[in-house]
Amino acid sequence: MKKILMITLALCMVLSMVACGGSETPAGNEGNSGNAASTPAADSYTFTYKGVELKLYAEAEPILTALGEPTKYTETASCAFDGLDKTYYYGNLYVQTYPENGKDYIYGWWFADDTLTTAENIYIGSTQAEVEAAYGADTFNGTSAYTIKKGEGSLSIIMKDGIVQEIQYAIILK
Amino acid sequence: MKKKLLILPAVLAVCLAVLYLLQMLLMPKYMTGKHQEGALIAEYYHNAGNNDVVFVGDCEVYENFSPITLWEEYGIPSYIRGSAQQLIWQSYYLMEETLKYEKPKVMVFNVLSMKYDTPKSTGAQSQREAYNRMTLDGMRWSVSKWNSIQASMTEEEKSWQAELSYIFPLLRYHDRWSSLEKQDFTYWFKKDQVSDNGYLMQTGVKPLGDAYHEMRPMDMNFGENSWYYLEKMTQLCKENGVQLVLIKAPALSPIWWDEWDLQIEEYAAKNDLLYVNLLDYQEEIGIDWSTDTYDAGLHLNVYGAEKAARWFGKYLQENCDLPDRRNDTALSDIWAEKVATYNQRKETKEG
Repeated sequence: MKKILMITLALCMVLSMVACGGSETPAGNEGNSGNAASTPAADSYTFTYKGVELKLYAEAEPILTALGEPTKYTETASCAFDGLDKTYYYGNLYVQTYPENGKDYIYGWWFADDTLTTAENIYIGSTQAEVEAAYGADTFNGTSAYTIKKGEGSLSIIMKDGIVQEIQYAIILK
Repeated sequence: MKKKLLILPAVLAVCLAVLYLLQMLLMPKYMTGKHQEGALIAEYYHNAGNNDVVFVGDCEVYENFSPITLWEEYGIPSYIRGSAQQLIWQSYYLMEETLKYEKPKVMVFNVLSMKYDTPKSTGAQSQREAYNRMTLDGMRWSVSKWNSIQASMTEEEKSWQAELSYIFPLLRYHDRWSSLEKQDFTYWFKKDQVSDNGYLMQTGVKPLGDAYHEMRPMDMNFGENSWYYLEKMTQLCKENGVQLVLIKAPALSPIWWDEWDLQIEEYAAKNDLLYVNLLDYQEEIGIDWSTDTYDAGLHLNVYGAEKAARWFGKYLQENCDLPDRRNDTALSDIWAEKVATYNQRKETKEG
């Protein structure tokens, strides 16, 4: 009898311990875009804007302080999670952050007009031929964009009618 | 010997009962605080039947339309089967499951989730799984639930442990023992209704500030998987004689891009479905983004949700041939109670 009892109890214990969820209950401290990892990937994209270096995954606070007061600011929350994704606009550049463990990190940035260029001199308005010369035709995703990955980040160049319509840098979600 | 044979099942039964009670204790209750949307899916079963309209979709349905207004203004009994970041495959299986409980005249699907083509595209793993739980844990057991679980996991996430944890949620939540709250004990055996027929009321006001700007999707075409489930919805509704209505709820972020709108318009026209983008009718609806939203335009508050329901109810009545059922005494009695609960909730929340 004791044996049976022991086996049953052991079974219950095993059942209750196996298959740990590992994920969080829906009260986490996350926004809806990122939370891949707050540790900056060593070779992620960077971009220097008005003397300030933006870096994917980097802590946002010192970067945003250096950039100064944005012209516009918006924030979005996910359906159920705590924390906000924030977007800052600086006249010709948007910077987006994501929350993790109570801090904001750089999720990405994108150009608002043709006054900014990538390191390879591609800007909004560049032609498809210029993009392919800079990044190679094999970076085309088959539909409407060129995607160039670097570490845990990606540069996306979105085309419309053979012309660059949008240029954006963002972290890669895990 | 006979006594010994009886002891084993008895011990097993006690053990299972203890595990079941533990599971009930450790599962999140979503009764109080900021995450009440986790309770929505399970609430449907107490309200199933007699609904002429059933909505499925994400927060854009359970925050933006008041079924009470639909009833009071047009006599349309309705229910919102919404949940946080409900994905299109989950909406499909909820539709399929709903048809086992009742046969509404109209099913309404909010098309925002078309933008998520695969489970992986919906966000980081930890958040993705937590969202899935809020939709799936509340469903009663059925083939639809099982299929929805399968469709919601990425290939890497699929494992016997993960699947088993949906069957026995204790396996997922056992580590909550150290963070149990008062509500876990208060609502251990019986839960309150946090919604009004699936509508989660918000009475706060946070006006819209600067217009939203978001990164443009790399590919403006909806993915294959999204189309697959939309087509399944269309077929399911056709086979069951239910009119499918596609909507885009009046919410300003995430941005609903023109290219997306066009694709849905074309699909609706091709399949003889109604599609209405309520963003195009903001003025007619009367939405004032300085007073009718509780989070700066992401969702409507109750005042906005009542306006949206008033406009959409008229649209449904004009386009879907829905009867005014306020003369049905039995139904009216049921809804009179719902209206009273709603008004009481509104009064309490307005403080």
